[in-house]
Amino acid sequence: MNQPTSPPNVTIESEDWSAELQELEQRRQWSKGLGGQEAIARHHANKRMTIRERLEGVLDTGSFSEVGSLTGKSDRTDGRVNQFSPAPYVCGLGDVRGRPVAIGGEDFTVKGGISWSGDRKKGGQGGFVEDLAHDYRIPLINLIDGAGGSVTSMLRRGYSVFPGVHGFEQSVRLLGEVPVVCAVMGTAAGGPAGRAILSHWSVMIKDTSQVFAAGPPVVARSLGQIITKEDLGGSDVAVDLAGTIDNVAENEQECWEMIRRFLSYMPQNVWELPPVGDQSDPPNRREEALATIIPKNRRRPYKMQKLISMIVDKESTFEIAPRFGRSVITTLARMHGHVVGIIANNPMVYGGAMDAKSARKQTHFVELCDTFHIPLIFFVDVPGFMIGKEAEAAATLREGMKSVYVGLQISVPIYTVVVRKCYGMAGMGATDKNGLDFKIAWPSAEWGSLPVEGGVSAAFKREIAAAPDPKKREQEIEKQFRESASPFLTAEAFGVEEIIDPRETRAYLCRFIEASIYKRKTALGPKPKYGVRP
Amino acid sequence: MAVEQLKSEVTGSVWKIVANIGDNIAPGDSIMIIESMKMEIPVICEDGGKLSALLVKEGDSVAEGQNLAEIEI
Repeated sequence: MNQPTSPPNVTIESEDWSAELQELEQRRQWSKGLGGQEAIARHHANKRMTIRERLEGVLDTGSFSEVGSLTGKSDRTDGRVNQFSPAPYVCGLGDVRGRPVAIGGEDFTVKGGISWSGDRKKGGQGGFVEDLAHDYRIPLINLIDGAGGSVTSMLRRGYSVFPGVHGFEQSVRLLGEVPVVCAVMGTAAGGPAGRAILSHWSVMIKDTSQVFAAGPPVVARSLGQIITKEDLGGSDVAVDLAGTIDNVAENEQECWEMIRRFLSYMPQNVWELPPVGDQSDPPNRREEALATIIPKNRRRPYKMQKLISMIVDKESTFEIAPRFGRSVITTLARMHGHVVGIIANNPMVYGGAMDAKSARKQTHFVELCDTFHIPLIFFVDVPGFMIGKEAEAAATLREGMKSVYVGLQISVPIYTVVVRKCYGMAGMGATDKNGLDFKIAWPSAEWGSLPVEGGVSAAFKREIAAAPDPKKREQEIEKQFRESASPFLTAEAFGVEEIIDPRETRAYLCRFIEASIYKRKTALGPKPKYGVRP
Repeated sequence: MAVEQLKSEVTGSVWKIVANIGDNIAPGDSIMIIESMKMEIPVICEDGGKLSALLVKEGDSVAEGQNLAEIEI
């Protein structure tokens, strides 16, 4: 029997990766250092926070997992890295109120957040961060702070790229899949400005952010207009006048909180329902003041925001685009914890008449709620479309009919609560013709194809003119019509499904919204697209 | 002392002026009423202050965003 042989005498090599690990750590530190202390100080002096401070502010503490921290350009000699300049875009996965989101933003301290592309784009338009939102079906937050491409890239490449090479395909796809929030944190022009619009909700910051197709130097050269960037694309223009961006925050901190709050109303994607929030506000709460909030004098307006706040869960509203198209109020809210979208005519602005701006706002909000399976409540007090030369020139009819068209395509439950006037095509846009057609009215309600005043003077023009006292005759006819305009007579014909005491509104709506969950949870997924919008 | 401009929310005409120059306006009180789209739209001074100037008179046509009055706050 052979004696067992000894194992060959091998040398064990040291498995020491410390140099590589040290390099990894060093590269991470360079990446965290952004564009360097000097650039960061300049950025702070302009009252702007860095991308990393923004990520920290928007996300739950310590929840950020970065992807692509090592992208950038290094300066090397003899295989050793001397210096590293990170890519001007930071992105990854983080949590907002305990739920994951894909998030990214330009780093202005590196070359002004210029568009950057290595083997793969990180974000901005398309890129990893948008792929992450799409593939994981989680919301996307874009923190925009860059002016997009630079003409210098043409020299680098040696040729000129065709528009759309870094296209919006994924950005567009996401709008039907997951909530997309775009926050304009600095000056956005060109591609990044366009990207901001491809969102469910957008926000910018007063005084420190601006958004435009092209900035002052291009405007000066093309049109000879000398204008500051704030006058060209500050919030006074982009939010209040144009409605290019939905909301404005007073400062960065408020902006971060608004992003977190907006997402709290949203599901993670279109394949699930929005989360049910706090249910401590009793659904049967009755507010006595609702009984008298509508003035008997039909010419007197009232505060619709107050009416809404008495019906929805306390402190649960988040108004979308409050400074634009103000004759309609669009606000997210909760009813016994369930997320709802409220659309309410504002009698303080043109008696609640729908103009082109408010119609545009309503169209977007209706689509937002339908996409994420959020039931809609209309508080209706609308005399019709806005009239007059300015309104016609602004294409009120077209924008108004677009909102009617979109209203007729959607499939979320709609609750129409007529609190006062409901007239014409604008009134038509507030009802659910594809579903239950469930219309609830307060005793103060009135409706028709057009208001009695204008209708009588037009239809009885000759009779009124021929009467000995035309004014008196007009009033007599109007009185006769008003008597048959009582909402109770329509209720007798089941032309309106219920008339309720205003104080019962919350309890009544909560009951039906909670029951609608069986419909909503069996109708999840992306919403179909229809033909051509008017 | 800061001067705040009260603007018209709507296009319409000045129906009634309900405050006088020099009046101390309580927060939420109206200065005047604009008639627009057959409605009486109050021009509300949300923060209150002293009415220092009226820039329109009853019967005037006003445009959306037009300054109507000045309030010292």
